[in-house]
Amino acid sequence: MSENNYVELRHLEKHFKDFHASKDININISKGKLVALLGPSGSGKTTILRMIAGLETPDSGDIILDGKVVNNIPGSERGIGFVFQNYALFRYMTVYDNIAFGLRVKKTKESEIKERVSELLKLIGCEGLEKRYPSQLSGGQRQRVAFARALAPSPQLLLLDEPFAAIDAKVRVELRTWLREMISRLGITSIFVTHDQDEAIEVADEIIVTNQGRVEQKGTPRELYSRPATPFVAQFIGNSIQIKNYADFNCFEQRSPDSTAVLRPEFISVLKKNETQQFSTSADEGVVEDIIFRGSSIELRVRIHGVLLSASRSVNDTPVEVGEKVDVFVYRMYVIDGDTITLVDNDSLKQESVVI
Amino acid sequence: MGQKQKPGPFQWFLIILCAVFLCVMLILPLTYIIVTAFREGLGVYIKAITDEYALKAVTLTVQVTLIAVAVNTVFGICAAWCITKFSFHGKKIISTFIDLPVTVSPIIAGLIYILLYGRQSALYPILREYGIKVVFAIPGIVLATIFVTFPFISRELIPVLTAQGTDEEEAAALMGADAFTIFRKVTFPHIKWALLYGVVLCTARAMGEFGAVSVLSGHLRGKTNTMPLYVELLYQGYDFTGAFAISSLLVIMAVAVLALRSILEHKGGKPGDILK
Ligand SMILES: Nc1ncnc2c1ncn2[C@@H]1O[C@H](COP(=O)(O)OP(=O)(O)OP(=O)(O)O)[C@@H](O)[C@H]1O
Ligand SMILES: [Mg+2]
Repeated sequence: MSENNYVELRHLEKHFKDFHASKDININISKGKLVALLGPSGSGKTTILRMIAGLETPDSGDIILDGKVVNNIPGSERGIGFVFQNYALFRYMTVYDNIAFGLRVKKTKESEIKERVSELLKLIGCEGLEKRYPSQLSGGQRQRVAFARALAPSPQLLLLDEPFAAIDAKVRVELRTWLREMISRLGITSIFVTHDQDEAIEVADEIIVTNQGRVEQKGTPRELYSRPATPFVAQFIGNSIQIKNYADFNCFEQRSPDSTAVLRPEFISVLKKNETQQFSTSADEGVVEDIIFRGSSIELRVRIHGVLLSASRSVNDTPVEVGEKVDVFVYRMYVIDGDTITLVDNDSLKQESVVI
Repeated sequence: MGQKQKPGPFQWFLIILCAVFLCVMLILPLTYIIVTAFREGLGVYIKAITDEYALKAVTLTVQVTLIAVAVNTVFGICAAWCITKFSFHGKKIISTFIDLPVTVSPIIAGLIYILLYGRQSALYPILREYGIKVVFAIPGIVLATIFVTFPFISRELIPVLTAQGTDEEEAAALMGADAFTIFRKVTFPHIKWALLYGVVLCTARAMGEFGAVSVLSGHLRGKTNTMPLYVELLYQGYDFTGAFAISSLLVIMAVAVLALRSILEHKGGKPGDILK
């Protein structure tokens, strides 16, 4: 165990009646880190967060905060700030009273409260809104107020449950950056739940991937991308597509009878028939089925060996058309055999590098 | 809701049907009560309602109503709070039982208490030892009224509390607020109007309760006669003016309560109070 761990979860188990919601959860989070809990819906992200906050009690296992086992300490004494999924702002209190609530409960002096609240309002850029009720705020403002309310009692650990879920796409991107800046400025250890990978990758220092009540992998966004530890992570991260007949592709061999493969758009390059490239000889022929303009790039859906792959081309490349026959070159794929995954390069890459 | 249309012939027919129905079923009888009450002049009316027994009946009704409403308010809040904010075994059963008084005939409610506290009950000797008289006495009337009216408040509160969810309470609890603070600061502002509305309904029902009270009261004039019972008594004694005069009082009280209800509804719908 490292000295630096602020949050440590050891062998946490949680059942809801017959449903096994958390299975042997082991997580270490260092002080000051911003960590994302990423996983599909129902994978137990909220349950983990609620156990840390003391809103749920684990069946077994230890929750350790700052070196102390806190299983039997009520949530309110764990030094935690919690931002709820729908903010749960007190709707009959003004913004000021919302932020002041936690301080008032602690019997802080009214003058100190005033100081702290105006400091926080300034931090979240909501000065002048203190007399409003939550219903009179925009989604983004509500989120900021919820954030300020959670921070008011100066918690050591900030927990955020899908902080951006209820906000529309454009503002969401702004808020992400804002939140990231806020948290790194305050240096407060934070865990946030999300099922949006882009969000996790952009905001978090580290990502914990959950699936069916288990932790699949913990690592930096880069690690998850380049070294997925489990088949689930390989499929879940990136715009991945799983295929069975990977041996149909040129220069890939069947590794074992029941193995499958995961392909990502960045593993694939699509060339027009007249374009040539170093490895064109070992490319497969596919048909373009759909073209989606993504602004900075063009996403293609290409049918090849009976499967639909997605790939991208630069906007500067010669345009392709729907129905056009193209050459598809697959650089590499993850081959999944039971619980093991292997990154397999295209055979021609090895051969030609030998030639060169 | 959908857009309001201009009424066509069929809609007019429905509107008129409703109006006629209301007239025949409600407005005519109510007018008749008032007219009959004043038929022999204001003097007789005033005499009828200031009669010693009449005043006693009014006082008793008001007392019983106040006690029943107070008890049911406390009970209703507790029940609604438990049912909506916690999950525990037997929750379904409790929430079904709360509805029971609405479905059971009041006469049966009365009889239950007679059997429970009357002479033939095993509890009777104990009650007698402590000098507590339930059946044919005011406690019995209060019990019967509480029984009949207890669903009203919790039934108003449960949907409101369910809609609110438990997040705000959890947020407050995480910041270290105790249960009472949470109720006062977070839950109560939310249920305020629904609660008042429930209290109004409960009051109206408590004032008018006849069946269960009739079984338990023993009809002791000036002692255990509430207004509805007193009306019946006068009516059976062929004192129509008296009966209608007291009835008119009950009607006026009911209308006052309904007016209060409308005001509350109006206030409750004010933006800034019911947010969102
Ligand atoms: N109070 C509860 N009672 C019973 N089952 C529950 C309860 N809370 C959660 N669960 C179950 O536990 C599982 C994990 O729930 P959890 O809320 O942790 O998922 P999540 O990963 O946060 O999902 P989402 O992204 O949809 O919020 C779900 O299948 C859910 O149905
Ligand atoms: Mg969740």
